[in-house]
Order: sequence, then C-alpha cells, then structure tokens
Amino acid sequence: MLSLFLTLAAGTAAADTASPPSRPADAAAGMVAVHRQPAIPIVALRMSVLADDPPGYAGAGHLVQHLVLPTLREQVRRVGGDVQITRGADAVVYTVVGPASELDYLAGVLRSTLRPPQLTEAQLVAAQRELRDERNAEWETAAGHVRALLRARLFPEDLSPAGTPASAERFTPEVVRSVWARMYQPERVAVIAVGDVQVGRVQEAFSRLPDPSGGGYREAMADTVPAAPPVSPEATRGWVGLGYSASDADPAALTVVARLLRDHLRERLPSASVEVEHWWTRQGQGLAVVVAAQPAGLAAARRTTGAAVGALTSTLNEERVRAAAAAVRRDMLFYARRPDRMADVVGQFVDRQGDANAAQRFYAEVERVDEAEVRAVLARLADRTPVAVDVPPQRLPNR
Amino acid sequence: MIRESLFRAGRRCLPALLLLFATAPGILSAQDRFVVRPEPGTSVVALEVLVATGPADETPEQAGLAYLTARVAVAPIRRTLDALGAHLTVQAHKDALGFTLTAAPDAWMEASRTLLVALFRDPADSLSMIRERAALRAELIGREASPADALARDVDAAVFGGEHPWRRPAAGYSTTVEKLTLSDVDGFIRTYLVPERTVAVVVGPVDPSGAREHVGAFLRGAPWQAPRVPAPEPLDSPIRQEYNSITTWVAASYPFSAEVDAEAVRLVGMLAAEELSFGPSRRSVYNAHSEVVRRPGGGELRVHIVVPPREVDAWTGRIGEAVSRFADRKLSDAVFRERLRRFRGVRLRELDTPEARAQAAARELFVGTGAEGSLVDALDELDAEQVLAAARALRSPTLVVLGPFLDDD
Repeated sequence: MLSLFLTLAAGTAAADTASPPSRPADAAAGMVAVHRQPAIPIVALRMSVLADDPPGYAGAGHLVQHLVLPTLREQVRRVGGDVQITRGADAVVYTVVGPASELDYLAGVLRSTLRPPQLTEAQLVAAQRELRDERNAEWETAAGHVRALLRARLFPEDLSPAGTPASAERFTPEVVRSVWARMYQPERVAVIAVGDVQVGRVQEAFSRLPDPSGGGYREAMADTVPAAPPVSPEATRGWVGLGYSASDADPAALTVVARLLRDHLRERLPSASVEVEHWWTRQGQGLAVVVAAQPAGLAAARRTTGAAVGALTSTLNEERVRAAAAAVRRDMLFYARRPDRMADVVGQFVDRQGDANAAQRFYAEVERVDEAEVRAVLARLADRTPVAVDVPPQRLPNR
Repeated sequence: MIRESLFRAGRRCLPALLLLFATAPGILSAQDRFVVRPEPGTSVVALEVLVATGPADETPEQAGLAYLTARVAVAPIRRTLDALGAHLTVQAHKDALGFTLTAAPDAWMEASRTLLVALFRDPADSLSMIRERAALRAELIGREASPADALARDVDAAVFGGEHPWRRPAAGYSTTVEKLTLSDVDGFIRTYLVPERTVAVVVGPVDPSGAREHVGAFLRGAPWQAPRVPAPEPLDSPIRQEYNSITTWVAASYPFSAEVDAEAVRLVGMLAAEELSFGPSRRSVYNAHSEVVRRPGGGELRVHIVVPPREVDAWTGRIGEAVSRFADRKLSDAVFRERLRRFRGVRLRELDTPEARAQAAARELFVGTGAEGSLVDALDELDAEQVLAAARALRSPTLVVLGPFLDDD
C-alpha cells in the first residue's frame, strides 16, 4: 500500500501500487499506481512514456502527441472528459479526466496513443507548425526568454520538448513512425490513476498494451541548436535571471531554499515580480531566480538578487525554515486538490525516480528539513557562480 | 424583424414568478443551515459561506454596497490567510454573498476561524475601505465597457423589471461605488453580514463532529432571517438595445419553478447551445453558450449567442427553436444515452475541486433543496421523460438583443 502525501494530510484513505508482471510478452504497463478518491465519481488517468527523443530527432515525442491530439480530444469529449498532453524532460505524458464509470473507455483511448501513428503529410505539416509555434513561444515574452536561456545554460543536454528547427526538417511520416517505434516500450509506461477507481480495474485496463513494433530510426544524428538565442524581447520592465546548478543538493532542502529565497526577495523588492523555482528532472536539479523590475529600480534589483543567497544565510533561523517548509507542503496540497493535478504530482516523481513512493517520501522529507540542511544548501549555492541572464527594458519614447 | 411569435409575452408568467421570488428559502434552524461533508482522500478542506444579502438590501444609490462590504470585511485578513497558505475568494450573487475558503487540513480551522470572525465580529476598517473602493471602482469601469457585461445588465433589467433590485449588477456600478462611505459599509456589516442570514458547507478531510463544533459555534442559536425580495415584473419581450459593437449579442432567459429538475434543464441548455454553436452549417456564429442559475423558488435558463448584425433575426428565432424542439418530443433512447453520457462527464468534472463541491452544496442548501442531495444520483436518475418535462416546464422567455441594428438605417 502506498500512502501518498495527500492522504497523509487526510489521514485516512490510501493508494495502491501495482507493478504487473513485467515479461515483455504481457505488454503490460511498467507501473500502475492508484490513489482512491471516492468523493466524486471521476478519474484522472495519467499515462507517461519514459523516453528521450533519439539523437537528431528532438521533439519527436511531442510531435507524436500533437498528431494524436485531435482524435484523442474528440474521443474523450464523447464522455464529457478532458485531455491534456505534456512533454516534460523525463516523459511523454497524456492525461485524461472523465467519469470513473468510463474507466475502460478512457484507458482504451490512452492505449491507442501508443500505436505507431498513422499520419498523412498534411497532418504532419499541421503538427510541425504547432511545434514551431511552441518553440517560438518559448522566446516570445521576457519571462519565457529568461527561463529558456537559463535552462539552456544549466542543462545543455535538455533540448526544448518542441525540438529544434533542424530536427523538424527530418520528420517524414515514415521517420515519425519508426522513431516512435523505437521510443515506445511497454515497460516504460507508467500509469497513475486518481479518483473513484480500484487498483485491480486500472491494472486490468492497462494489462495489454499495444505491441512495440520494433524497428527504429535510420541513423543517429547530432541535434543542433542555434548558437545564439533569438534577440531579447521588447519588455517594459528589466528582467534578471540567475540559475544555480544544484544537482548535488538534497531535493527537499532545495525546495525549501527556493521558497525562502522567494520570500526574502519579495520582501526586499516589493515593487518587483519575483519567482524562484526548483527545477528537477532526470538531468539534474537547479534553482532559477527570475526578477522583473521597473527601469528605475533595476540596478537595485540586480544587486539584491545577486546578494540574496548571502543575505538569506545571515538572517536564517529555524522558525523561518519551519514556516517555509509548511508553506511548501500546503502549496503541494492545494495544487493537488484536483484529480488530474494530483496525478501529475505523483506522476512526475514516478517519471523522475521510477518509484511510486517517491512523492510520499518527498512530502515527508520537506517537513523534516531543518536549518542546518538549509544552510548546507545555501553554502553550496554561495560557492558557485550562477549563470546570469539579463533582458534590459526597452526605451520608450517620451509622450 | 425578430420572430416574436416564438417568444410569447413574458407577462403571462408573472403570477408564477411572483410565487417564485417572494418566498424565502425553507431553511430555518442554524443546524439545518450548516453541513459537513467529510471526504477522505481529498487534499484540502473547502468552506463555503453564503450570506443572504445583496442588491435587495441596497438602495439604488448604494448599488454595490453589499459586495464592497464583503471585500472590506475580508481585506484585513488576507495577509493572515496567505501566511496559512489559505485561499479566499469573494463572489457577489444576486441573492447572496459567497465566501470560498480553501486550506490545508492542518490550517483550515485557524483559517476558517479568521474568516468567520472577520465576517461576523470585526468592525469595518477605514484603510481597507479606501483601498477596496478604489480597486472595485477600477474593476467596474473595465467591466462596464464590455458588451457581455452590458448584455447581462440588459437581460437582468428585462427579466426582473425596471425597479427590481436584481436588475442592478450585484457588484454595483462604478458611479455608485465611488460614493459609498465607511459609515455605509459599517452599517451594512452590522445589519446584514450576520449569522442569521448565513448557510455554510465544509467539504474535505475533516473530522465531522469537530468541524460541526468549530463552524457551528459561529451560527449556533441564530434563527434564520429570511431576506425579502420583491416580485419581478418582467418587461415586454423582445427588447432591442442599441450598442456600439461590430457583433450582435442575443440572450433568451427561460424561468422555471422549483419543481422542475434543474439538471434536466441544464441538459436542455447544453444541447440547445450545441445546436447553435459554430459549425459547418453555422459558420457565422461567434459564440453560443447556456447557463442555469438556481435561486430560492426556482431558477432561470439563459441561452446566449453572438452573431453578425445582419443575421440577428434569423438567429434569434433559432434560439427559440433550439430550446423548444426538446419540448416537442422525447429524445430517442439511443440519442438520449449518448447525450447524457457526455453531459454527465461535463457536470462531474465541474465538481472536480473541493471548493466547487462546497459551492454547489451550499447553493442547494440555500435554495432549499438540501445539500445532502447528490448530483451523482440526480444525473444517474435522469431520463428522457424528465428532459421532455423540463423543456415543457420552461416558461416564456424574455429576449434581449444588443448591438447595431442595420435594418434601422
């Protein structure tokens, strides 16, 4: 039995995990985890396929998602459901939400996405256009631009889920089918179900996944990304980004540090927007600080942001750590109050660590984070030079 | 010309409406006005508090006073709630103010105590008054420029009549809100923000007896004070209002009584809106949707469409046809099952958060149908006969058209 962090808070219900027989002949999902929520008879099914895009074919997984999305949407709509696709650093993810009584139907819809995509040139062109728009959107606003640059510098191996202009040119219907055949393996499929369903039914629904058709792409190629990012976007405020590589930090302590840094900066920069994010993928961990300030306050915002780690260290105490840890846990609970979001939280841990208990453990570890652990993380951050990104404010004509 | 034959005069349903709105919810004891729904496995606790006050307790010059009072009352506690990781939203309905609080299980008691003390015991704060009045005024100026908001105002005026308090937006007007004073707010808090007018629902992973004891302490012993709302006097329909836009907005409001199955009405509305929505044979429809509003004594189905001005007459008629066809004959079993399958999923998903479930339960409690009734049961029991009966029970619509009228040139 798996007692997820959400049920820890509630103290009663529990979730089940089942790892079905993993012989290739069974073609069953590699992992099925169920968190029962009997409050309302709906179910969120999150199915992830752990797979990296093959070298030279960045964006392949997300392209396949865009190809199947119109059909998926139409099928799920028949039962009043909803569907989401995401391509994270760790997995290709499909999430459907609908009535629990439609579990078998929804599971069937999800399973169908694992088959080699049948596509025409026209569908491929449409999907590629959507991917190109996504790639461009990453750089369109100052907030996206700063984050994309920080990610590229902290995790150079982690290309955009939407691929690259070079890889986009390599996709043909035949290439897409063969690349997907290489990426999809039943044992790499993880299913998280949250809602009014029993583990046995979910396990049964995902016990016979489509056979991997084998094959593979023609040859590995190098993914190439433009050496220089697009020019900075026009922004009325100045934007400052700092990225700390922190793969060696304890994840729970790093999450608490992110919260403390955010609170610290918001207190000192009340007129600026401040976000501090804990980035955590299979590639590693990082801490991203993104601050936007009016031109008049930009210099002060840069100084305060650059000195934040040191300043926080000098004002830290156990009480603040406890408050930050409690806030992180409450935020997690609030985010996960919808079945699809809870499935997302649990699923991200599964994708990253391959362990259905990881979310529960993390939630418990956050509560145990103490001042010494936070100081240790801050000391590591202070010892290294962060990557920095700066988007200056545009010069507006006098009116 | 608008095909008026499809929309019989609204005055014919006046006697029924008099009955609908002149009565108060049938909830009397404090115990009956508070429900706890334990939900093991849900990650947070939601508290919905509905206070039965609104435009009916304001003069026309005070429009927006109830909503401003609600915002002023909770403004001083926002920082405390933030520190607890709790989330609070305030909504102004025609017949009630809604306060929705969501908090982690370890913080909900403190957060809800903070809210209930602020609502029922704290006096109005002058700094909050100045800030909230300025913020609300700015929001209203933005809203008043929207054609959707203008349509809602005109439909309300048509449905309830020129002098009825519900003809006014529950949030008021920018021009009335800017003149409200601390004394207005303070008086309103003392008179109308009271436990005697309150219903509350708690949903989430709570101990039922502890939750009852905790929230019940704020409501205990307070007899229900039924708010009095005058009977509406709908205007003659259709109503055409000139509005400076490039599209025309049409709304049809169908009142229904308390005996009518609200879920069946909702299904009729959804299906009618689908028949009017953009599609291969309806390329000129920009938007179409429906909504059901429940109030003590019944409710209202509103169907809206947005179309090009030159096509307004045709589309206005088609709203009536889209709704009335469900009153003409029963859906076949196969068609009904297919439609119900989709409707059921959509409705269940609308309740996918604890706060949505708390809001729905509080509304049921407020309108007098009881929060213990289950939406799931209502959906599972729905059949084609009920849909037919609901469509037939819809009263004559009030029709409002807003936009440029090219045929007047």
